[in-house]
Amino acid sequence: MPVVRLYYEDLEEMVGASRDLFMARIAMMGADIGKSDEEDYVDVEFFPDRPDLYSSEGVARALQGFLDIKVGLPEYHVHPGEIALKVDPSVEGVRPLIGCAVVRDLEFSDPAIESLMDLQEDLHWGLGRNRRKVAIGVHDISRVVPPFTYFAADPSFKFVPLDFDESLSMAEILKRHPKGIGYATILEGFDRYPLIVDAKGDVLSFPPIINGELTRVRDDTRDLFIDVTGTDPVVYKALNIVVTALAERGGRIESVRVERAEGDLTLPDLSAAIWNVRVDDANALIGFDLSAEEVAACLERMRFGAKVRGGPGADELEVSVPPYRADIMHSWDIFEDAAKGYGYDNLTATLPGTVTVGEPHPIEVRKADLRDVMVGLGYLETMPFTLTSEMVNFERMRRRSRDLEVTRVLHPISELHTMVRTSILPSLLEIIAINQHHPLPQSIFAVGDVLEGGRTRQDLAAASIHSSADFAEIRSAVEALFGELAIEVEIRSSEDGAFLEGRRGDLMVGGERVGSFGEFHPQVLQSFGLDMPAVGLELRWDRLWPAGRSRL
Amino acid sequence: MKITISQRLIIMPKEEDTRSKLSPRDRQVLKEISDGFTDPGKIAEKLKIKEVSVISSAEGLAEMGLISLDKGVEEVCALTEEGARYAEIGLPERRILEIAGVEGVPLSEIKDPALKVGIGWLKKKGWATVEAGRITPKGDALPGKDEEILEALLFQGETSGSALDEEALKLLKSRGLVESRSEKSWSFEITDAGRSALKMAEDSSRSSSAVFDYVAQITPDMIKNGVWEGKYVDYKGTRYEVRPYDVTLPAERIYPGKVHPYQRLLTRMREIMLEMGFTEIKGEIVQSSFWNFDALFQPQDHPAREMQDTFYLDSRAEIPDYASVKEMHERGGDVGSTGWGGNWDPEVARRKVLRTHTTSVTIKYLADHPNPPVKAFSIDRVYRREAIDPTHTPEFEQLEGVIMDDGLSFANLLGVLKGFYAKMGFDEVRFRPGYFPYTEPSVEPEVYIEGLGWVELGGAGVFRREVTAPFGIERPVLAWGLGVGRLAMLRLGLKDLRLLYQSDLGWLRDMPLSTRM
Repeated sequence: MPVVRLYYEDLEEMVGASRDLFMARIAMMGADIGKSDEEDYVDVEFFPDRPDLYSSEGVARALQGFLDIKVGLPEYHVHPGEIALKVDPSVEGVRPLIGCAVVRDLEFSDPAIESLMDLQEDLHWGLGRNRRKVAIGVHDISRVVPPFTYFAADPSFKFVPLDFDESLSMAEILKRHPKGIGYATILEGFDRYPLIVDAKGDVLSFPPIINGELTRVRDDTRDLFIDVTGTDPVVYKALNIVVTALAERGGRIESVRVERAEGDLTLPDLSAAIWNVRVDDANALIGFDLSAEEVAACLERMRFGAKVRGGPGADELEVSVPPYRADIMHSWDIFEDAAKGYGYDNLTATLPGTVTVGEPHPIEVRKADLRDVMVGLGYLETMPFTLTSEMVNFERMRRRSRDLEVTRVLHPISELHTMVRTSILPSLLEIIAINQHHPLPQSIFAVGDVLEGGRTRQDLAAASIHSSADFAEIRSAVEALFGELAIEVEIRSSEDGAFLEGRRGDLMVGGERVGSFGEFHPQVLQSFGLDMPAVGLELRWDRLWPAGRSRL
Repeated sequence: MKITISQRLIIMPKEEDTRSKLSPRDRQVLKEISDGFTDPGKIAEKLKIKEVSVISSAEGLAEMGLISLDKGVEEVCALTEEGARYAEIGLPERRILEIAGVEGVPLSEIKDPALKVGIGWLKKKGWATVEAGRITPKGDALPGKDEEILEALLFQGETSGSALDEEALKLLKSRGLVESRSEKSWSFEITDAGRSALKMAEDSSRSSSAVFDYVAQITPDMIKNGVWEGKYVDYKGTRYEVRPYDVTLPAERIYPGKVHPYQRLLTRMREIMLEMGFTEIKGEIVQSSFWNFDALFQPQDHPAREMQDTFYLDSRAEIPDYASVKEMHERGGDVGSTGWGGNWDPEVARRKVLRTHTTSVTIKYLADHPNPPVKAFSIDRVYRREAIDPTHTPEFEQLEGVIMDDGLSFANLLGVLKGFYAKMGFDEVRFRPGYFPYTEPSVEPEVYIEGLGWVELGGAGVFRREVTAPFGIERPVLAWGLGVGRLAMLRLGLKDLRLLYQSDLGWLRDMPLSTRM
């Protein structure tokens, strides 16, 4: 989640409240406060659905409402501007959408510059899916001459990218510039790359990769040109978030005419979206009992505009959603904000009246039985990982992998975790192997999931290691186990490579092989680094009983 | 008196004199002590038995007055790093004296802080006067006991404190030049009574007319046919005494079979859910992206669906009729939602994953049971593509509960959470706004834990209409979940989550069964 660094002094000035006041309430607005030993700032995490809070300006705006300092829809005036940007049809298949705006009369303090840079990065992550969907460029407009053109240029086109002092072709930038290397995949497969140039052909930006060095924002920059490019209409939302944040810093917003073949746009569009919602629905969902006016007040505290439609006792609200909110998809999104405005801590937690009779799952009931038996036999329970490798699951066990039965993961985190286990015994031997410094005998077991042909099945496995571990011991355990489960088992000689020839048995129930047991083959023991005799058993038990929710 | 020794009747010689109450082991140990071995370790080594057996034997022998036993704590002394240096180059006061020579030296010339500490000691030991800014030696300044100890320790290494001058040792320890630790020590010596008992025992074992009237192991026949009086039994015409044991001696440790402490926590949580009237559900580990993501209204380009967070499999799953889900993603269906826009691709939904949350099982269950009321829960393993470290594992347990019924509200969800956490032993719960892609409103419950403060424990919310509507679920669904591993760490005082899965058997054996989960 994006972390926003809030400088107390800066925020106190913007909010108009003391740090103690806003720090006491900020979590209830929806935030995770990080630990900060610093005197002058705190790092706060905001949720991914609220990109409008990724800047200290956005946080200040929300806090003003939440603390009843300034409530209702924030007003932003867009002054008509002279600047135009022409969208060339060549960007259509590459990166079709662009939104622009101009913000003038800015005075950048250090926290303000830091906040703007962080906002850009967080938006690239949160809304932009790492720049694929949205990429933002911010420029010192005094260095370039409008009108601007957005078009798809040949990769051989050269300019000086940000942080470089030599001219590179766009193709070279993708290979040599750190940002080019980082984001080159977005442009993979295109033979022309997006570019924004001014009237003289000087480069503002090569979206979504890098700006030109020419328009770098400096301490003395006063007027900004902002471009947001991408593949989804959310680019206009991102533009609004950046522009309104700058306006909170005292910037004067000026419109840009975006000239397109399908019709011109005047941006930014800071009009509020109107939602008509029912107060009854809000009361039913949240579980409070508020009048239309009260719900409206809660929403105004969250910086919505809210008007009661109709006379006293009216049930409908006309809600104006601020232009920077990217998360309002449904009336419930608005109701959640009403609940936040009301304060989660003010809600009365009440148990629902739903009466039902609970029932355990038969698998878990059987697992408890199996644990009872194994514990009674002196075995200690373990709960190993289910992710394993073919080396452990098959090779070290002298067992052959049957491809159809194995569930391999596509991008394992390590070569130790390439598949989900088909058997639990190997994990038990691994646990024994890391515990050889503890006194013997060691007898351990595990019950749990295995995958067979992609289906979840249930196994029990047990192993015992000590100087006199032998077939008789594990055979006794098998007898006791099946005796307690009241299941008739037939024991046949086995071919299971994990165990020693002549000292291994298959467990047959109703003519079907459900497991095996015996003395581990010394090669198996060697491969796990063990030097004591050991015995083991494994049973696939989930189909031993008729399926269904029987009284147990 | 003479009886036949049956194989099952182990009988020891006994005379009126307690000195002959010797088991073969006692006799062996006594013999070794008589031969001049004084410490249990050496005797154990010689007899190839455990040291603890030697000690128990010796304690018996001492009780009978056959040996004298010195059980003590010995102080073992050694030089500290600083002490070792001084032992080499001399104490600071000694070195100042060397610098001062006969004439003495101005105080100001002793600049080295390591030397300055010696000035006080010069005065204390009366080796010099310090007056008017000048150190003037007086007397002979003979080597002190403390210096002798330093030298002794330098050459001998670790030395018993009893061999060293007590006063001087105390001084050196207070200066941090010598450190000591205690070691248990045993010292055995045979007594006159012991010598004669040993002789007697040796004689009697040679003699063919040994007297047997001491029983070690009671036999079934003895119980059936003996006439008992206290610890005495008249059996087959002879009176025997059952040999008393020193019941205070430690026994060999045994380790009972036990349920894993983490499993006991999981079981307790299952019980709580069942007590609250929830039905337990289970599902497949391998899920389609459809049930794991799409059914929960996670957009297909959502970061959580990326390769680096989710274990994908190289195969495709069957998915149910997806028209309503596709419509919801693209246009918001008919519940007044905007949807995500764009194009929803069934091929993406068919990709198989290892379930990243139990919610995939929950939503499928709700889709199969769309009519109220439903109260269901599951506790099962889920998979995230995380590298293993003390607080992250690629698989872990998640608990999840849902309630679906007419007229349920977010405030009801808070009520259920309060009830659930109270049953878990957390009486103080508070609620913070949260965010989860498939719930609205969402909440992060925090519980108060002594010493830690407010700790976030789980997440909850009301399933979005975009989630429920495509499956014909028309009533509100309250849902909550938590990662149980985090709770286990709190309850079991664990710093490392891996211990739950790659368990140390010592930890499992030592964790008392009575630990409350």
